[in-house]
Parts: sequence; C-alpha cells; structure tokens
Amino acid sequence: MTSPPLAALPFVSPSGLPEVLGLLADRSARGDETVLLAGGTDWYVDRQARLPLPGLPLVVDLTRVTALRAIDLHGERLVLGGATTYEDLRRSPVVSSRAPLLARMAATVGAAQIQARGTLAGNLASGSPAADGVAALAALDADLVLASREGERRVRLADFYTGYRRSVRRPDELIARIEVALPGLPSRQAWRKVGARGAQAISKVALAGMAVVEEGRIARIGLGMASVAPTTSFLPSVRALALGRSPGELSGSALDEATGRDISPIDDVRSTAAYRLHVARALVRNFFASLG
Amino acid sequence: MRVDFILNGAPCSADAPPLARLLDVLRETLRLTGTKEGCGEGECGSCTVLLDGTPVNSCLVAFGQCEGRSVTTVEGLSGSGPLTPTQRSFVEEGGTQCGFCTPGVLVSLEALRTRDAHPSEGAIREAVAGNICRCTGYARIVAAARNAAGDGEPE
Repeated sequence: MTSPPLAALPFVSPSGLPEVLGLLADRSARGDETVLLAGGTDWYVDRQARLPLPGLPLVVDLTRVTALRAIDLHGERLVLGGATTYEDLRRSPVVSSRAPLLARMAATVGAAQIQARGTLAGNLASGSPAADGVAALAALDADLVLASREGERRVRLADFYTGYRRSVRRPDELIARIEVALPGLPSRQAWRKVGARGAQAISKVALAGMAVVEEGRIARIGLGMASVAPTTSFLPSVRALALGRSPGELSGSALDEATGRDISPIDDVRSTAAYRLHVARALVRNFFASLG
Repeated sequence: MRVDFILNGAPCSADAPPLARLLDVLRETLRLTGTKEGCGEGECGSCTVLLDGTPVNSCLVAFGQCEGRSVTTVEGLSGSGPLTPTQRSFVEEGGTQCGFCTPGVLVSLEALRTRDAHPSEGAIREAVAGNICRCTGYARIVAAARNAAGDGEPE
C-alpha cells in the first residue's frame, strides 16, 4: 500500500516546459521543494526504501512534456531531450549509427521495463556514481543544457558534479537537453559493464570508451567509468597518456598506473575495492588493445 | 484524483491519489489481482503491465501519470475470449510453476509477440530478462514462448 505521506503529496502534470520552469522558479524562490518525476525508476525505489522526503514537495510529472523527449541531429551535434528514455536510445537510428555506445549502454540498463521508463536526465540528476548513462555520456564529453525561467546555461558534464550525488544544478533548473559533439571521423566506441549478471544488475565497474585514430595516432579520446569513485570518473590521466600516441606504444603497465591514479574504488555491497581496481585496469587495457 | 484511462481495452475512471502506485490502484481499487507485487522496486517484474503497449513495472508508475493512457494487465490479454497462443502454450508446456511471476512473464511475452511474431530464443530471453522466476523455470518459459510462436496464428 502507498504510505500516507505519498498519498498526501500534491501532484501536477503540465504539458509545457514554460509551465514547469515557472513552477520551479516560484517554488524555489519561496524555498519550497519540488520533485521532478519522469520514469520514477529511482524515485519510487527511494520511497519503497522509506528514504525521507524533504518537507512536503510538489511533484511535477514530466511525462507529458513532449519537448523534453526528442532526439535530433543538428549538424554534427547530437541533441538528446532530457526525458529521452533508454528504449528511445536503443530504437534511434541516428544514435545507433553515430553514437552506438549510447545504444549499447541503454541495452544493459535494468531490463525492458526499466528501459521504457528511465530517462537520461533522471540518471544525471540522481547522480549515482554507478549510473550507466552518465559514464557513457562522459566518454562522449557531453554538455548539459540547464533550463530555468531566466534562460538556459550550458555546463560541461565534467563540471556538473561537485561530489557524491551533488551537482551545480540549481533548485530552479532542470536538465532540458544533453548535447554531444559527434566524432567527425570513424570512431571506435565501446561499452562494457561488469555486474553480477546480465540483466537487472548495477555495475561493479563499467567503462565507456570512444576513440578516433587518425594516421595511427589517437586524435580524440573519451572515457567514462562507473562505480569506481564518488562521481563518474573521466579517467583524465588515462586520457592524457593516450592522446596523440599510437595505441601500440601504450604499455599495459603505464595504463594500469594511470587508471590507478584516476579512481578510488571502495568495498561495498556489490564488490570490493581490490576487485574493482583489477577489473578497471583490465577494461582500460582491453579498450586500447581493441584500437589495434 | 480522478483519472480517466483505457483499462484492458475499455474506458475506465478511477479515483485514487495521483502518486499511488499504479500497482496498488489495479489491485486494491480496481480489484484486478492478477498483477502481483514482488520486490516493489522495479527489479522482479511480477507487476509488469503494458502502458501504451510497452511493458513497465507498475510499482514504479504514478497513477496520475496514466491519465488518457492505455493500461493492459494480464486479465486483459485474452479478456473473456480463448487463451492467447502464449497462454495456451504455457499450459501445455508447463511454463507455469508456482505461478507468481507468470502474469508478468505473459505480459512481457505478449508485448514481444506484437512486435515480432517469430522471435528468436535470444529475443525471448531478453523480453523476460526483467521477469525474475524464483522457481528458476526459465527453460520451460522459453520453450512455451517458442511453441506459441510455432502456432503461428496471428490474433
């Protein structure tokens, strides 16, 4: 049964983004809490776990805001509405052809029931370091467009998180779009998620990788790793080591050393720090080996 | 909050809190108890229903989000008519063990059949990957789904 507090929460279901942004602006100015509800795949799980709600929030349903659910190609920029679901990513021809790691990632999130409901902006806003979508977007060095009644601002994903489940998003803002500058040349894109089983598993470690190899050298590199630090790791040392070099001259020991420097895995319910470090290094080595 | 939606093909109007889980409204308000609650956190798939034709976990859907939409539960798969080929095949193949996961499994497989009349074993296994069977009877579930596809009659 629904707990009484949940039944008492006010709920609105607007269809226009301006209405949503107006509610956020007015409520945050008064210090009132607002919950933005899309697929509910995190929110209802938190309610089931009886996590406390701050105050008496207004719940704003986003599933009718069609402006938030679109996948477009603008020149060489892939534009994903915040309410894009994992199923949308799997079914999109442009995602499959130009950003295939997003489609592969989406296929490993939960199972069909979760993929139909969970959204990219929800994944970003929840801010779990295990978030598959965030690791994949990190490898593509995505930009987030945060919208408020005042207008929009663009934040690099690398600058979005300030700590464990904390971000620069203000209470009056929502994640309206995610934009990716697509690699101009043929790129190697990979997604590898290591968990207890294939479906319905949260990762022990996951790696998203994107590389453009031009005349034998790595001309663009993007990496995102989940479940190895308080926030999604961009593996900056590994990127710096690889950029401009040929895949063949990257030694396993140098990659291992850089990977170790970039992550701070812990023991938790899903895995151990030692196992995570071992797997993280193997995933990084395998990715660069695949570049030939 | 009164919500008007399509339930198992017929217009339905129900009054329940907008953030009540669709699962609870189906079971408690509308007395459609075919949909089961297992984990209550979107992992086991026992509460799977179709929302506008797509399998979802009804324990994670706000009732207020269903306004104007179509919900299909296990009760609506064959209605008062004959069993669907998949349901018949579950009977014949012993695809049902304790039965608790079966409504969710059937709903997931019906959604697959709508998209793909002759799904591969891989597609069947993926379609029910979000439906956990504690009897671990997946072999018979997959066999039943394949057999149903072999019947070949579109509904």
